[in-house]
Amino acid sequence: MIAKNFLQALEGMPKRSRISANSADATTWIDVTPEEVPAACMALANAGGIFDSAFAYPAASRAQWALAYVFRLESRGLAAVRSRGKSFHSVSASLSAAIWDERKMHEISGAEFSGLPDVRPIVSHPENAAIEQKNRAQKHAKPLKNGNGENTYPFVGTGEEGEFEVAVGPVHAGIIEPGHFRFFVSGEGVNKMEARLSYMHRGIEGFAKGKKMEDMFPIIEQISGDESASNSVAFAQAAESLCGIQVPQRAQTIRLLLLEEERIYSHLADLGGIATDVGFAAPASQFLALRERMMRLNEKCFGNRFLRDVVALGGTHRDMPREKISELRSGIEFFSKAILEIENLTMSSSTFLDRAFSAGWVSAKSASRFCLVGPGARASGISCDTRKHFPYGAYAHVALNEALATDGDALARFMVKLNETKESARLISEEIAHMPSGPFCAHEIPNAKAGSISFGMCEAPRGGCTMLLQAGKHNTIQNLSVRTASFRNWRALEKAILKNIIADFQLINKSFNLSYAGADL
Amino acid sequence: MNELDILLRGRKTDSISSASESATIREIATLLQKRPLSPFARSICVRMVDAGSSNDVEIEEGLMNSPQVDCERFGIHFVASPRHADVLLVSGPVTINMKLALEKTYAAMPYPKAVVAAGDGACSGGVLSDALGVYKSGRVDEVIPISVKVPGNPPTPYELVLGILKAGEMLSRQKD
Repeated sequence: MIAKNFLQALEGMPKRSRISANSADATTWIDVTPEEVPAACMALANAGGIFDSAFAYPAASRAQWALAYVFRLESRGLAAVRSRGKSFHSVSASLSAAIWDERKMHEISGAEFSGLPDVRPIVSHPENAAIEQKNRAQKHAKPLKNGNGENTYPFVGTGEEGEFEVAVGPVHAGIIEPGHFRFFVSGEGVNKMEARLSYMHRGIEGFAKGKKMEDMFPIIEQISGDESASNSVAFAQAAESLCGIQVPQRAQTIRLLLLEEERIYSHLADLGGIATDVGFAAPASQFLALRERMMRLNEKCFGNRFLRDVVALGGTHRDMPREKISELRSGIEFFSKAILEIENLTMSSSTFLDRAFSAGWVSAKSASRFCLVGPGARASGISCDTRKHFPYGAYAHVALNEALATDGDALARFMVKLNETKESARLISEEIAHMPSGPFCAHEIPNAKAGSISFGMCEAPRGGCTMLLQAGKHNTIQNLSVRTASFRNWRALEKAILKNIIADFQLINKSFNLSYAGADL
Repeated sequence: MNELDILLRGRKTDSISSASESATIREIATLLQKRPLSPFARSICVRMVDAGSSNDVEIEEGLMNSPQVDCERFGIHFVASPRHADVLLVSGPVTINMKLALEKTYAAMPYPKAVVAAGDGACSGGVLSDALGVYKSGRVDEVIPISVKVPGNPPTPYELVLGILKAGEMLSRQKD
């Protein structure tokens, strides 16, 4: 089942490219030479492929790197443009969504990029070059310098007359994670904003190398606390596809319950945060109370407030006994009633609507240019739910009503998230009505073929996340690359703030509520 | 529902008693029965710095303000600047890129001051202790001196409340 436009795209590929398909995870690999990468990527993008992620990993032969540019093709699986070599041509000059991916690959791998529009380091901070570093396993790591060879990070303004800079962060005033924002303003309107992240960079991808797959879950859960279950499921699916494990039906349903429960409690924080940031305390407290209640429900039903320690290789660590299922059922019933009341309270306030309406507008055109994922894209009318387009696990037999809006402003993102929580509650109550019986974990874990590669995808609360996993010997990890929804969507925030006032930044930031830790890894 | 309805629904706040099921809440209750936490007279201003955790500790810190826990009734409140703070609440493991910001935040606090290390990452480095982006072992006490450790992956809001109250008690003993 391959789309017609995809076939046309393949015909437009450079002549010498080699095309192979992996049926296990429905991925089409297109092997090209380094010079042909931009042409191949543009052929896929022009045929309707949505740029998803770009990963670099050491190739089998020494001093060579393999690059994989991954595209999503409307419900038809993934297509990855792969190339091996030492120096590559940058794609981001024509495909601007790839710029952060390429800056990251340029910095942390030994691959050289020619024609990269922006060579500032994105992972390490040049001013910290003097701090004692650990023994770097990445021998290829380039010296910590900015483009001009100095130990500073230059921010680039628009050059408008009378423009001044406002520096915010990394330690903010609220209870949030660290990140630096540089606003360029003349008067009240923001001309440009640059986010400088990576304060939370712990090096999870590098740390994964050589670890056993089944031991990875506590580390994967550290990517982003409120996406613990989603990231674990994405990783588990990549590993299970490599090892050829059939996950039992019951485990898949328990995973669905986990993922939807996670979506509910994560979105409740965003909804409450939006209400807080417009100064509307009554619904903010109601959302916060409901969230704490859902976290306590998590602990009762799944044993952990953050739903950690449940997903395992081949299924789940624990079964869900009947009393916990009925506990979950009554918790979700309470939630479904409470959320309607709070919605009513919020949406009947003209001050709330006035503040959220038209703040942080992202047009459908910008959303597709930045290849956004998750609620950020759906609020601009772009259908991109992994659960619907790449159904995995128990989602294959679920009829999902994707929440969509068209306005692309903070209010639209609020509505999308609100509707997603309701849809999640519906899915949970539907699924627990007929839980499949049977084992909750696969009995046998076969060994994966060393060197084989698979992708794992999952719709986290913030949007689709993609992982590339390459197996080593005896089910160890040779390479793990992660692209979270936060990494993809941060640039949308830079776009959304334009022509808004700085005072609205916290509202716009909260309407996306991206994870700093998830983007920095 | 309108704003007035909320008032008629009774309170959502958990009760704190020495007969509670939770050991943490019992400990908080005994601590509160002791002498007032001078010199702060039951007013502890907290600044949080997330120095590299996976946003889980920060979520639980946010939930300390939830109606159920309501940390302001214990005199704890979060302030925007380290210059207003008595206690610094740090989660970790400390990354190389956050080391400088953490040192500067600590230096900006007035005396007397205390640091609470929140979460396994801040106390011991946690699972990511050996990762390349983490400074040394990731423990907060390799960067700034700490007074109280609150382990947990992540610690619950009440465990954080207890840790901050203990830090306040330590500060009051210093004054004597």
